[in-house]
Amino acid sequence: MALSEGPRASNSAANVASRLQKELMDIMTHPTPGITAFPSSENLTTWTATIDGPEATPYEALVFKLTFEFPANYPYAPPHVVFKTPIYHPNVDFSGRICLDILKDKWSAVYNTGTVLLSLQSLLGEPNNSSPLNGQAAELWDSDMDEFKRLVLARHKTPEELDAA
Amino acid sequence: MDHATLVFASVFPVPTLSHTTPTPLATPDLGYTAPGSSFGSPFAGTPGAGQQHRSVKRNVAWSTATRFLGLESSGTSGRGGGRRTRDVEEALSYLLVGEGRLHEGNGRSEGGLVEWFTNEVRMHFARVVRPGLRELWGKEVELRTAWDILEETQRILAQVQNLYSQPFSDHIIPFLHQAASNMTIRPGACRDGQVVDMEIINGPKRTFQREIHAAFAHSLPPKRFSKTLSHVLYDAGCRLFRFYIRHDGVQASTTPENSKEVRDRMTALLMGLESVGLGGDKAQKAFAHAMNKIIDTFISSHYVKVDWSSRRSVVADMRNWVENGFCPLVELVLECLRCESTDVDPAQLKQWQEMALNRLGRSRVENLFDFIINWDHSVGAILDLKEYLKLDGAKEHLKNSFSRQVSRRLLHPGATTTYVLNVYISIIRAFHKLEPKGVLLQSVARPIRRYLKERDDTARIIISSLLIDVDDEASSKFASNSELSYEIASEMAKPFAHADATDDEFNWNDMNWQPLPHDASPEYKKSKVEDVIYFLLTLWDREDFINELKNILGDHLLRCQDAEYQKEIRLLELIKVRLGEDKLQACEVMLRDMLESRRINDTIRTATETSKRQDKILRTPEGPTRGLRPRPPTSTPTSAPAAPPAPTLNAQILSSFFWPVLRDDDFHVPAEILALQKDYETRFERIKGMRKLRWMNALGESRITLEFEDRTEEFEHLTPWQVSVVYAFQPQPGEEWAGSTRKGKGKAKTKTPGITRNIEQLEESLEMDEALIRQAIAFWVGKSVLRETAPSTYTVMETLSHSHVDEDAAAAAQELAEVQAQQTSTVKSQADVLNEKRDVYEAFILGMLTNQGNMGVGRILMMMRMMVQGGFPFAEDEVRGMLVQLEERERVVGLGGDVWGVKK
Repeated sequence: MALSEGPRASNSAANVASRLQKELMDIMTHPTPGITAFPSSENLTTWTATIDGPEATPYEALVFKLTFEFPANYPYAPPHVVFKTPIYHPNVDFSGRICLDILKDKWSAVYNTGTVLLSLQSLLGEPNNSSPLNGQAAELWDSDMDEFKRLVLARHKTPEELDAA
Repeated sequence: MDHATLVFASVFPVPTLSHTTPTPLATPDLGYTAPGSSFGSPFAGTPGAGQQHRSVKRNVAWSTATRFLGLESSGTSGRGGGRRTRDVEEALSYLLVGEGRLHEGNGRSEGGLVEWFTNEVRMHFARVVRPGLRELWGKEVELRTAWDILEETQRILAQVQNLYSQPFSDHIIPFLHQAASNMTIRPGACRDGQVVDMEIINGPKRTFQREIHAAFAHSLPPKRFSKTLSHVLYDAGCRLFRFYIRHDGVQASTTPENSKEVRDRMTALLMGLESVGLGGDKAQKAFAHAMNKIIDTFISSHYVKVDWSSRRSVVADMRNWVENGFCPLVELVLECLRCESTDVDPAQLKQWQEMALNRLGRSRVENLFDFIINWDHSVGAILDLKEYLKLDGAKEHLKNSFSRQVSRRLLHPGATTTYVLNVYISIIRAFHKLEPKGVLLQSVARPIRRYLKERDDTARIIISSLLIDVDDEASSKFASNSELSYEIASEMAKPFAHADATDDEFNWNDMNWQPLPHDASPEYKKSKVEDVIYFLLTLWDREDFINELKNILGDHLLRCQDAEYQKEIRLLELIKVRLGEDKLQACEVMLRDMLESRRINDTIRTATETSKRQDKILRTPEGPTRGLRPRPPTSTPTSAPAAPPAPTLNAQILSSFFWPVLRDDDFHVPAEILALQKDYETRFERIKGMRKLRWMNALGESRITLEFEDRTEEFEHLTPWQVSVVYAFQPQPGEEWAGSTRKGKGKAKTKTPGITRNIEQLEESLEMDEALIRQAIAFWVGKSVLRETAPSTYTVMETLSHSHVDEDAAAAAQELAEVQAQQTSTVKSQADVLNEKRDVYEAFILGMLTNQGNMGVGRILMMMRMMVQGGFPFAEDEVRGMLVQLEERERVVGLGGDVWGVKK
């Protein structure tokens, strides 16, 4: 596998690459509906992922793109995950950063890209309002779902719109 | 010559005795009359007259002396004999020591008697002896006559030398002696007069001898002579040392010769040659040639043949021979040739030993490849080479030569991988003996390792061989099955020696420590574990090897019959020691899966209490869940009237994450088994909590009993699809069939043929691949269970007929089934990878297009090649084909220009 690695490419970089390749293979062999992910380039350490908004949530029928950046000591450290599609969500700030325990202190090496995406998908339907990054969204979620939905749709952009921007 | 003739000749000189004038012939100086002196008086007191007088006197004396000394021209009998008369004596005395002696002042006009005699001898030799010698030496000397010719030559020359020197010593030397003694008496003689005397006598004598020796030497063709002499010496050497294989093509006599005789004959000849002046430089040169050849012959002789039986080095013998066999011969010859120093210098001896060793080494190196192939028996040769390697330049020579041999004889497409591996193992062993530091091995093995890496089947052969039990009955497989290397298997069976933990280089107490050879690279570090397996396991990067190991171990475990898996456990432990524990986790999990499966089976079986017979089943799991390989159970297509034994099911639960990609054909297993599977599944989930089973029906093994109208047959080690296919020949509800009479359902229709199915029906009912169905059918036809009644239509053979048609068809089908069975392994074959993996590839394409936007075919292919684990062995056409299919299913859209995007 010809990976364009830096001069400090070492055994650990090769380990990360093989682990990521394995994960990619798993995702491809056991696809989960509504979730896809694929490396952005020859370099396996950055991926782009797509999740469909879960049904019966304000995000239904919306498509969200995310980027994954895997650290050199992955899977012993969590990937850095950011929403690329603007999203209005209690646990995501306006630059796309996510507040999710398994991406922070609860990270474990048994998680992988697939499980992270599944967690994020379920986070869309069940936000954790006790520690919001977006306070207004957290309040609206509990108080005014219609307004919440309106704001979600107002903020959302389709991938095509994103590309055009 | 009779006396009368002599008398006559003394008065009237005859032409034959014409040497009556001093040589060179010159007109005697009669002097001249000085002006003013009286004319015609020769005896006048003038100095001129004295001169003239002497001249006459000398002429007379000369005539007498030469006539006396003259050699007869015919024959070698020599001078006419006769005693010295007084005249002659006077004449000789006059000429040799008296006034007639050659004076310095007389210029060159007169020749001395000695010179004359020398010349006479030379002439005589040329006239009489040389033609004879010419005849002897005129043509190429045949090897077998060499001795005779040399001896004859020596004899002739000795004879003539005797003939010539006889008169010289009889008639000339005494006068010289006399003169010498006169001189000593003469007062004023110098103190070392004695020496001068000897000079006076010996000088002419030596000159004379030198002259005749030169004549002798010139009479023989020099090259031919030295060649012949060299050959004779070589021949003597060969006889003395009893060499049977000789380099000159002469067949050695088989009867042992008396070496003393040979020695004496040689000594006599050499001494004779030396005495007639044929020794000296030329003979020494000839002997040097012979020595060279003798050493060569020795090296190729039986004395230093590779010691195959007692397996030791012959170098010591060789040194011993050089010291105690060769040197004495040389000394003897040198003595005969009267060399100055007849002792062999110790330094010289050492040089010869090295020279011999060098030749021995080179001859061993030439055959090194054969020694390697016959390793173990050829230890002797390797030990010889070990000595040889101590010489300068030996290593380079060995390396180059061996590399050439290897590339010519081993690294070609005709050699099977197993063979190459076996030879490589022999090389490792032999070179380890040759040079324990391993530097040499490293450099000669490099091309072999590179070559082995290129071969696809190397890893498979190594690992499968590692898994073979040497003591097993399967060991008979080695001969027939070239896929397994007995060498590797036996190597694996050896106890594993733990390397010392201490670093050799820092073990100050190691008295056997040696520096690394000079050709070792600065970073060279001998690996601590240095056995054959180590070299084989380090052929690849660890990762590649472990992947291959996983595949083969997986296949092996699934086929394995040993319930304890002892051998596999041991193997894994051994590999762990060698490759490190961390990398073999997957293999350990695989092994543990197998062991745990047994436990779970037991638990479930006791729980269900249904099993009367056992069968194993196996599967791989799904995601975090685990899988089972079902071993479909005993099924009875034609169930017996009595309650047939209920099928039983055992499962092997595999953790899919760790196992290699396994064969996974989907088809319907018989309903009874499906029920068992469901049952097993629920119980398993109860035991293992949340885990789910995914059955892999393609793997597994079953045993069934088939009951026909006229027979009952048991089959073991069947694959599930074979069982499923034969099970499909069970009567469906409402179907009538031959066996129903026995089933006791009432309708006795003995003439009803057996159940008939065609391929299409089977494909439909089993949802199995046609290829697989055909394969299973072929198997059953081969077993005379089914019969093809119409194209693609098969019927159960309820009664076994013995018609030839059936038997032939059965035989043919059996053959086919065997061929097919070999092609079906539990681990996936590459052939239908595209179809099997189509889903995965499509997922890749969709994932790529969804996340990365629209792409061209070329880029898709590039990404596939890079991202698909295990490689993507297809080209743009296949990618395009898949894209078109996806487009048909409205998953992607072609955007033109070979660019594709996901369908929204």
